[in-house]
Amino acid sequence: MSGDVRHGTRVGSGSIRFSYDGREYSGQPGDTAASALLAQGVRFFGRSVKYRRLRGVLAAGPEEPNALLTVGERPAVIPNVSAPQLAIRDGLALRSQNRWPTLQRDLASLLQAGGGFFGAGFYYKTFMWPSWRSYESIIRRLAGLGEAPGACETPPIAVEHLSCDVLVAGAGAAGLAAARAASRAGARVVLCEREPACGGELEFEGGRIEGQDALPWAAATLAELAARGARLLTETAVVGGSEGQIVLHAEPGGLPGASTLYRVRPRSFVIAMGAVERPIAFVDNDRPGVMLLGAAERYFARYGVSVGRDLVLFANHDRVYAAAARLAAGGMRVRAIVDTRSDMVGAAGVAASLRVELERRGTACLAGHAVVAAEGARELRAVRVAPLAGAGTVRRIVCDALLQSGGWSPCVQAGLQEGGAREYSPGLGAFLAQAQPQWRILCGAANGHLELGAVLADGEAAGEQAARHAGHSTDLPTAAAGRDEWRGGNRGDGAPRLAAFWRSPAPLKAEKRQFVDLQNDVTVADLRAALAEGFVDIEHVKRYTTLGIGTEQGATSSVLGAAILAELKGEGLDKVGTFRSRAPYRPVALKALAGLRVGPAYRTARRTSLDGWHAANGAVLESSGLWMRPRYYRSNGDDAFTAGIAEASRVRASGGIADGSTLGKIEIAGPDASGFLDSMYLTRAGTVKVGRSKYMVNLREDGMVLDDGLVLRLAPDRFLATTSSGHAAHMLSHFEHYRDTEWNGRAVTLTDVTEAWAVIAAAGPQSRAALERVLGPDWRGSLKSLGHMDFADGRFEGRDLRVLRASFSGELAYELHCRPGIAVTLWRALIAAGLAPYGLEALDILRVEKGYLVSSEINGETTPQDLNMDGLLKLGNPCLGRELLDRPAFHEPSRPRLVGVRARDGRTKFQAGAQLTTEDESRHAAGHVTSAVYSPALGEWVGLALLARRLGEEARIVARDPLRGGDTPLRVVPPVHFDPAGERMKS
Amino acid sequence: MALNKKTRRAYSVWALMRARLAGSGYWRPLWSGRKLKDAYDVVVVGAGGHGLATAFHLARDHGLERVAVLEKRLVGYGNVGRNTTIVRSNYLLPENHCFYEDSLRRYETLSKDLNYNVMYSPRGVVDLALSDDDFPALARRGNAMLLAGIDVELMDIAALERFCPQLEPRRRRRFPILGALVQRRGGTVRHDAVAWGYARAATAHGVDIIEDCEVTGVRTNGGGATGVETNRGYVRAERIVFATAGHTGMIGTMLGVPLPIETHLLQAMVTEPVKPLLHTVLVYVSPGHGEVYISQSDRGGLVMGGHLDGFPSYTREGRWDRLEDVAQGAVELLPQIGAIKVLRQWAGTNDMTMDGSPIIDRLRYDNVFVNAGWCYGGFKTIPASGAACATLVATGSAPDLIKPYRLSRFATGHLLDERGGGPFPVRQ
Amino acid sequence: MTRLICPFCGPRELREFEFHKTLPAGPGSAFSRTYERIDRPELSVEHWQHAEGCRGWLLVRRNPSTGAVLETRLLGGAAVGGAP
Repeated sequence: MSGDVRHGTRVGSGSIRFSYDGREYSGQPGDTAASALLAQGVRFFGRSVKYRRLRGVLAAGPEEPNALLTVGERPAVIPNVSAPQLAIRDGLALRSQNRWPTLQRDLASLLQAGGGFFGAGFYYKTFMWPSWRSYESIIRRLAGLGEAPGACETPPIAVEHLSCDVLVAGAGAAGLAAARAASRAGARVVLCEREPACGGELEFEGGRIEGQDALPWAAATLAELAARGARLLTETAVVGGSEGQIVLHAEPGGLPGASTLYRVRPRSFVIAMGAVERPIAFVDNDRPGVMLLGAAERYFARYGVSVGRDLVLFANHDRVYAAAARLAAGGMRVRAIVDTRSDMVGAAGVAASLRVELERRGTACLAGHAVVAAEGARELRAVRVAPLAGAGTVRRIVCDALLQSGGWSPCVQAGLQEGGAREYSPGLGAFLAQAQPQWRILCGAANGHLELGAVLADGEAAGEQAARHAGHSTDLPTAAAGRDEWRGGNRGDGAPRLAAFWRSPAPLKAEKRQFVDLQNDVTVADLRAALAEGFVDIEHVKRYTTLGIGTEQGATSSVLGAAILAELKGEGLDKVGTFRSRAPYRPVALKALAGLRVGPAYRTARRTSLDGWHAANGAVLESSGLWMRPRYYRSNGDDAFTAGIAEASRVRASGGIADGSTLGKIEIAGPDASGFLDSMYLTRAGTVKVGRSKYMVNLREDGMVLDDGLVLRLAPDRFLATTSSGHAAHMLSHFEHYRDTEWNGRAVTLTDVTEAWAVIAAAGPQSRAALERVLGPDWRGSLKSLGHMDFADGRFEGRDLRVLRASFSGELAYELHCRPGIAVTLWRALIAAGLAPYGLEALDILRVEKGYLVSSEINGETTPQDLNMDGLLKLGNPCLGRELLDRPAFHEPSRPRLVGVRARDGRTKFQAGAQLTTEDESRHAAGHVTSAVYSPALGEWVGLALLARRLGEEARIVARDPLRGGDTPLRVVPPVHFDPAGERMKS
Repeated sequence: MALNKKTRRAYSVWALMRARLAGSGYWRPLWSGRKLKDAYDVVVVGAGGHGLATAFHLARDHGLERVAVLEKRLVGYGNVGRNTTIVRSNYLLPENHCFYEDSLRRYETLSKDLNYNVMYSPRGVVDLALSDDDFPALARRGNAMLLAGIDVELMDIAALERFCPQLEPRRRRRFPILGALVQRRGGTVRHDAVAWGYARAATAHGVDIIEDCEVTGVRTNGGGATGVETNRGYVRAERIVFATAGHTGMIGTMLGVPLPIETHLLQAMVTEPVKPLLHTVLVYVSPGHGEVYISQSDRGGLVMGGHLDGFPSYTREGRWDRLEDVAQGAVELLPQIGAIKVLRQWAGTNDMTMDGSPIIDRLRYDNVFVNAGWCYGGFKTIPASGAACATLVATGSAPDLIKPYRLSRFATGHLLDERGGGPFPVRQ
Repeated sequence: MTRLICPFCGPRELREFEFHKTLPAGPGSAFSRTYERIDRPELSVEHWQHAEGCRGWLLVRRNPSTGAVLETRLLGGAAVGGAP
């Protein structure tokens, strides 16, 4: 075969060289790995995962269960690529799977001898002694299909958002008719097709439509669609979505890589995704050489590949005769047609006349017969054929390809969400999707139509209905053009007159070689065993036997399995049903599913207006929620510990500045603003004077402390509330919710101004002097008069600046709220005035020394009493969350209380996250260390802790930290470690 | 344990050989074929993990001979077969880690106890630290566990690199990996096997498991319940246990007891099988719905899940963008898996409580019990929950292990809020 | 369910909205409002916020068994429509 140039609808001339299992092969442009290898006589494409049986190609599309290849070189291999979809290109390196050391000689195939031993569910019955773990690694290595990639070097994927009136999935006859009808009605149409070429079965079945041959008709229809502005996406499959958004995935060449994810927002969705041909179960039906009939036709029409010289066709419907005629015309020898129906003899119509012609040319046409077994030790050599009724003789027919067709399963998956229901149609021997919502329409083979005229008419009607639902009129003259014309056109593929037939008779002992699911080696014997053990529901059978859970998503096995189960149970297939199919409808690479939000774009970082300065000046930035914040500056030390101490010490000695821009800032304005804040916070805002601020705390609905911050009164009816970093969005929602519910109708506006103001904290004894120097004479007076918790508004460099005297370090300190545009200027000026930058590490040291709270203490589990806010509670302001603080548990002696802790020896390190127990107790914790730092001001480790109230300052407690070291005896001290009187801050 | 020969043959490698020699007909149904009687000592509603385990322990440990499990659909059709199969006991609160540890210990021997291989795989559960702020929180949890005698270790980046080289912890990431809290005995268990193993063992101890039997109401005589109404008629019951997971909120409504529960969907997905790539369970929680947990099943598929869908639902049809969130986290964590394909997604209906911890208690009547509120952590507690719930039902008093899970804790304030999320299930 | 109709902004994708809570059994006490829920298969009454849009707080009535949106209105505003 090699050497000849093949002709087909998809292959061009030229030569492409690639390798398979280390051997060089060639193919033509347009070939797939399957077509090129089949053309060169390759029969073996891998081994099955469980019994390691040699396998060939079954199908010509994504339903292929066997021929999965590993592509590329280590480490960036891509496993489990379906050979019928993989476009070859120069230099492509392919390998077969599930074999060691080689495909021909596989050590693990010795397991085949175990046959019945390794049936369904055998894992559950053994490997218990001494433990599953002792077998697991061997079993894991035997399982698992393709090689695990060690790297992924595929290019970044593209994501496109499309909107249209009508999305048509599938560009076969029905899809083309639907798209054209919708387009003619004026609808904006997107048409997607999973194959690289359109036409579907028209590609090999031919026929005449509207006075044209099928393929020219398809080309003309595509041209008309293009002229009308419809968008065509090839190699693009529907993978998921529901009303309002359908997700498509384009995977050019059949390899994860340069793929595109489309999010389409159509008004209507037409599902014209065709139907998948089904195999029939018989003994050794997995032998290489056993294929689907439609696959053989596709390989011949598309790529000019003859899948065998001597064929036997095995089917349960009329269409096999036209197929046989086409294959015979292609030069293949059709030895026999085995038709399971007995009533086909003497049938009138096209099929009957074709049959006469085939018989005349030497094809044995056996009605009421079935292929009962394949012969051949490694690949197909012959089939055994037996009559289905009576005691006829079993004949042996030599062949190198058996082409089977057991009917078609409509591709209805995309029509089963949001109200779609599956219903069995006995005439088709298949399940159809019913109860569709208005926006979704199935048509053509996906809707159970198999005869070309009906397919086209159904497609057109679907297209019109979709256009109408999208708001377009279908009474226009263009819309109606062409209707009725295709009723006349026909070919040999009329109604198939299918009679459901699922498996050939076989002795009980041979049922373990009647394969139902080729990928998972599920046999009829497995189904029988499952039933015997009480797994009678299809969902149970699926889970117990692994039926239909392979990479082909049960395309060829799920209905077959259900039907055989029905036979074994003696029930109707309608009663047995089939298992639920789930998105994605086609396997999608994780990277494609992830879209663009990967790598640096994964949870995009938020950066302050000083970020550029930090990066350029040796700051070590770290994530704080989504924000990036300086942890320390390298100029102050090699690591966070050293630098943090240096920076914190400098703040207390002279002064420093920190970037506080991430501080949440919410403006609350309106006549009711003051009352609103009173109801949100534990203390009243109404008592705050304009130009002053107040430390305030608010509660969650259940009474736990939610957040704390300063509230500034900007004007009688205008406040600014600060929130913890990263908490602003949540606090804003919290405020807005309360405003729109309990406070509905009151005049309060809420605005998140977090990013409208950059914040620089200037702290330390020299901060005032530095500010005076930087801000100039205009500010001198107000800076002097600014008391603790006062603020003043003014200008700097012509832009707004607010100076708030407030401290998170216990030092004389100011928060400078400025417009982001002048933040860097102000920052540089402050440095020039002698204030050096400090980061989060120093910030943490300074605040722990002073006993200020962060999320380690306000952790969603602490009440105001737990955090020593009894004083605030006593003021009696009835705010949100107060009522539920009365619950008894919150007043028990075991409830925690915020305390300070230090090592009893004044030296030893202890860390946040240590559990606290009393000295004589080692199991039951009485609290934990929430924060701990080395205090340069005090020369020892200091911490904050939540400790059971029953333990007072006299308690001898121990920090238990077995995870990181050991135990540290602690003493309990007041939470404010440094300058408890607060003199420095008020100086 | 006593075997009921009619319903059960012991499983072993020898039995497999005998079965092969015998051809067909050797194995017996695991649980099917029982007839619904008109009266029971205990009716358990729901043949999921918790219901089946409760029934098993009622029969085995407490000798109750008339126990039924009534199931609306199929054995193990709910969350026991829809989770990501992770078992662990690395909880912060003592009430929780003691209970989950009891469960993990039972899982260690469950295959032998049930004579059914549930494939307990102690491959370790790795909670990754992504910032310096994560360490104190992980340490707090780990230290609490160690005090209670539960093994766990804190790994720095070098140790993590040795434990899970595939993770390449030093790789540049948006949220760099700095270390991890690792519980080596944590791991995975084959989920369906747990349901089937308990169903088989319960049946062997005389429990009637009745599928396609929907409980539609509870009949009472004022002081207590007398039985349940079902689609197959009235069934008298001395005691009733509801173990209905995602349908517990509705049960509360049916009994006129508003429960502190919202019902939310949680999705999971699995990829195509590949050869061994990941030998542990990774848990990665980054800001912005960045939660992902991932393990590789023994068949080779990568099993992963993330955050709740985020709104109440009974549809079992998960939202697409949550799959994208999970895929993003997974690829960020293990870039080498980018080309591996997702095969299918599914969703479970979770009974999310207002503090994230379960409820095992009486419900309205002295002889009606509820075993629920498992949020997304129900699978790992099945053995402990079954044993303890059975004791409560059989003896009338709750063992210490589940006393904290009483329903009244919300009113008294004895909350068990692991994450401090408050009374908002979407934040638990 | 992939979209909600915001009374201000029209149909918008679910990702823009944040679910907050289901509405409690009744007005009742603070405890009841915070903790107690009536769970009905055919109706869930919820508070959502169009957080990544107009930030309006919405009252949404949905059927949690089908995903159908029965009503979406601004809290305190008038009903504007059901499912798209």
